[in-house]
Amino acid sequence: MNCRECKEHLYEYLDRELTPAVEQDIRQHLEECPPCGEHFDFEKLFLDFLKARCRAQGASPDLKRRIFNELFGA
Amino acid sequence: MTPPIPPTPAPSPAAEAEKRASFEREALVHLDSLYRVAVRLTGNAAEADDLVQETMLKAYRAWHQFQQGTNAKGWLLTILRHAFINEYRRRTRHPETVDIDAIEPFSVFEEVQDDDPQGTFFDRIVDDEVLRAIDQLPEQFRETVVLSDVEGLSYEEIARIQEVPVGTVKSRLFRARRQLQQKLYDYAVGMGYIKGSPK
Repeated sequence: MNCRECKEHLYEYLDRELTPAVEQDIRQHLEECPPCGEHFDFEKLFLDFLKARCRAQGASPDLKRRIFNELFGA
Repeated sequence: MTPPIPPTPAPSPAAEAEKRASFEREALVHLDSLYRVAVRLTGNAAEADDLVQETMLKAYRAWHQFQQGTNAKGWLLTILRHAFINEYRRRTRHPETVDIDAIEPFSVFEEVQDDDPQGTFFDRIVDDEVLRAIDQLPEQFRETVVLSDVEGLSYEEIARIQEVPVGTVKSRLFRARRQLQQKLYDYAVGMGYIKGSPK
């Protein structure tokens, strides 16, 4: 696998959407090619960052109470 | 002569209790996820609360149609999405979005690989700024990013919810992520978190 092919699968690899065989080819390329390795690490970090920044929010206790009351009575 | 149809018997208290228990166990645990998707779709907290409440009411009424053991989160998100499209989309006023087709898929990594290949500048960007950047994406892209990157759904699950091919999910994700990176990079440059020139 060359760098271009590897990068084409960038997000599918990080999202765990590839077959084990292709995943293995990519893993091997990343071990042998530091620039691609660095790029993938950067993108992985970005996705982790997005997730961390967005998951702080959730339904408020008030909304949870409202739904419980509506569904099951007070 | 056909015999009269007997009235549907009211569910026994035991059946009601079982319904409630399984709904709490499998559906109500996803309230936070539903809220996070709803608030990005509607663009405001009050509408998001109403949308989530309505989704849960519809889901509870239709709970007998849910196949136990399948993906409850995906099922609930599908109900939420339909409710949003049918009843909320017209009346919510979402902030103006960018024209994503006009954007070059820009790789921030190429810009920062010499100065900050580990992307430490991201650490300094606060939650609100990230949410603001997501809110500027067009609706379908925004929804795809939230379902994937925040809620962790697979391409297949997202494709089912959005009723599009898996390839569409992939391309939306690619473009949305690149757009977000560019936006947040420009912000970081503007704030002096990293050297460089905003595009």
